[in-house]
Amino acid sequence: MKTLNRYLIGIFLTILSFGAFAAEEEPSSFSALLTGVSSGVDTFFNDYLGWFVNLIFYSLPVAGTKFPLIVGWLFIAAIIFTFYFGFVQFRRSGLALGIVSGKYSDPNAKEDGEVSHFQALTTALSGTVGLGNIAGVGVAVAIGGPGATFWMIMCGLLGMASKFFECTLGVKYRTILPSGAVSGGPMYYLRDAMAERGFGGLGKVLAIGFALMCILGSFGGGNMFQANQAHAMLTYAFDVPPEYGIITGVVLAALVFSVIVGGMPSIASVTEKVVPYMAALYLGMGIIVILMNLDQIGAAFSAIFEGAFTGAGVVGGVLGALIQGLKRATFSNEAGIGSAAIAHSAVKTKEPITEGLVATLEPFIDTVVICTMTALVITIAGLNVAPFDGAGLTGVQLTAASFSDSVGIFKYFLALAVIMFAFSTMISWSYYGLKAWTYLFGEGKSMEMIFKLIFCMFVIVGATIQFGAVIDFSDAAIFAMSIFNIIGLYFLMPIVKEELASFVARVKSGEIKKYK
Amino acid sequence: MKIKDTPIDLNKAILQKGPKFRSHTVIFQNNVADLKPTMSSLAFCLVYIVVGLFLLALAAIVYHNKKQLDFTLFLGGVGIAILTFGITLVMPFVKQVTFDKNTGSYKNNIDRKVKLENIISLQILNKMVTSKHGLSYPCYELNMLTKNGRRINVLNHNDIDQLLSDAEKLAEFLSVELIDLRHEIIL
Repeated sequence: MKTLNRYLIGIFLTILSFGAFAAEEEPSSFSALLTGVSSGVDTFFNDYLGWFVNLIFYSLPVAGTKFPLIVGWLFIAAIIFTFYFGFVQFRRSGLALGIVSGKYSDPNAKEDGEVSHFQALTTALSGTVGLGNIAGVGVAVAIGGPGATFWMIMCGLLGMASKFFECTLGVKYRTILPSGAVSGGPMYYLRDAMAERGFGGLGKVLAIGFALMCILGSFGGGNMFQANQAHAMLTYAFDVPPEYGIITGVVLAALVFSVIVGGMPSIASVTEKVVPYMAALYLGMGIIVILMNLDQIGAAFSAIFEGAFTGAGVVGGVLGALIQGLKRATFSNEAGIGSAAIAHSAVKTKEPITEGLVATLEPFIDTVVICTMTALVITIAGLNVAPFDGAGLTGVQLTAASFSDSVGIFKYFLALAVIMFAFSTMISWSYYGLKAWTYLFGEGKSMEMIFKLIFCMFVIVGATIQFGAVIDFSDAAIFAMSIFNIIGLYFLMPIVKEELASFVARVKSGEIKKYK
Repeated sequence: MKIKDTPIDLNKAILQKGPKFRSHTVIFQNNVADLKPTMSSLAFCLVYIVVGLFLLALAAIVYHNKKQLDFTLFLGGVGIAILTFGITLVMPFVKQVTFDKNTGSYKNNIDRKVKLENIISLQILNKMVTSKHGLSYPCYELNMLTKNGRRINVLNHNDIDQLLSDAEKLAEFLSVELIDLRHEIIL
């Protein structure tokens, strides 16, 4: 194993040296080589995985536009969960804030290694602020116009119920693997909770389906999209040629490699500590831009509301704006996807419902607050004009251009934040993917190593690709997870309803004490 | 000044985190027990140093070829940050940690020296390293307890077989008892 590790490091270092040398000595042939590689990989994704993308985004013609069924699938599920749990995200928001503020925690009974509620909140914040808020909003308004923002907000508000539901189940049905590692998420609740409800066979099928899609999602949206947008940001901020994405990819892959293959907790800890500051930096920049343009806020909100209900300049009109808003909001807050349930299952708590309630805050902060802020900055800058067909600036470049339109230096801070967010998201998704991988193939050093090496390879592929197929695949893989997750969630609604009722009753009776 | 009697919770881990690999092994030579970093742990720390140096070199190339100051500063800044991080990671590995019977002392270059005669026991503890956005895994500590109630961490890693073997040999070397305080962890 040690020898293998050393060889791998050697290979990485050789690539690094080659990248630097080639960049200096033969820029034209190097560029041609990289463009060829990029084009080849994109063609491969298009030819061999295009069917998968088409299947996941299968669309029906509705009011003259193509409506992807998967978008309706997620939106309708969020509406049903909202009604079924009695608008838990609004009615129990006080309880959620109380849990986060430590109202229900005994200050004298803090367990070893237990994180404080403030830490839990900052972790949640840093986990939600990412490229979905920066690049995703840029894509949504570039294609869906300002009106897409309204639908993002709606999706965020409803998605709070989905997140409450899946994160509660994630904690309730987590398991301790033979190695002692804690594992949880849809794979486990689909298998175990469905069996409890008498649907064991279906549960196993759904769990396997989810795990497969989660692995693909970890390679796609959780990896390639992140690396791709990190390099796109460097291209925008510093005019780095797109074909040099391989260097960005190799550097990121080396760092990801050290964390996921080496198991170094230090860099992961540093990332966890730095990312909240990056999130604060991003929020601070957004607030500054908004404050500098206070007189345009009214007009920006008008554009958002008008666009939501007129769909002016958007391909597909209102429906087009709605589709983009819902797609990007889901990509950003991951509600209904199932990934958050994996992350939340590692938390130390005896009450699964508390984690579910805390999780409701994430789509709110992520989509309702931060995505709206990004959309306002873009709308205020006015660089995104009709027709909204994505032909102009889009994604992270549109967002960055809008920020630097008010304060030029912001593009540098944004570049730093984007790279940090991309890196931390890749680490998180490597963890989700690995959990799904070990669910399917069991724990074992060799099998885990295969996943980790493939994951690192995809970092390089993602940063290298310049064309659309990789982005389409990234989207499809993430959305595909929701198909299996939500089918199971429909069967498991009574379990969480009972759990919620019990928790609320115990809070009211004083069995669960208030300490503040 | 009155000194308070504060009970020591031996079950409480000294360090919250720890690596998911074997970071050190104990090597016995003559009258000295040395904690040696493993090659793989050093190699993974070196990744950061290499990446940091690479970015610094790239910054120099960019400045030399294009005179692009903003990108040079960006690359240089990130490179220095990663390099510094790598160096701080390597430092604990290269610091000498020894139990020396010739001098009768234990030194780790972090805590003040401890006389070997003052070490009363070694203890093995288990803990769960958890993270919401990362791996969660069991990790183990080998700590020593001194006569005046100090607890000092000796080993902290994920390879329990190696840690048990090292702990037994070390306890025999120091002629102190080895207490296994591993317990079931309920999340």
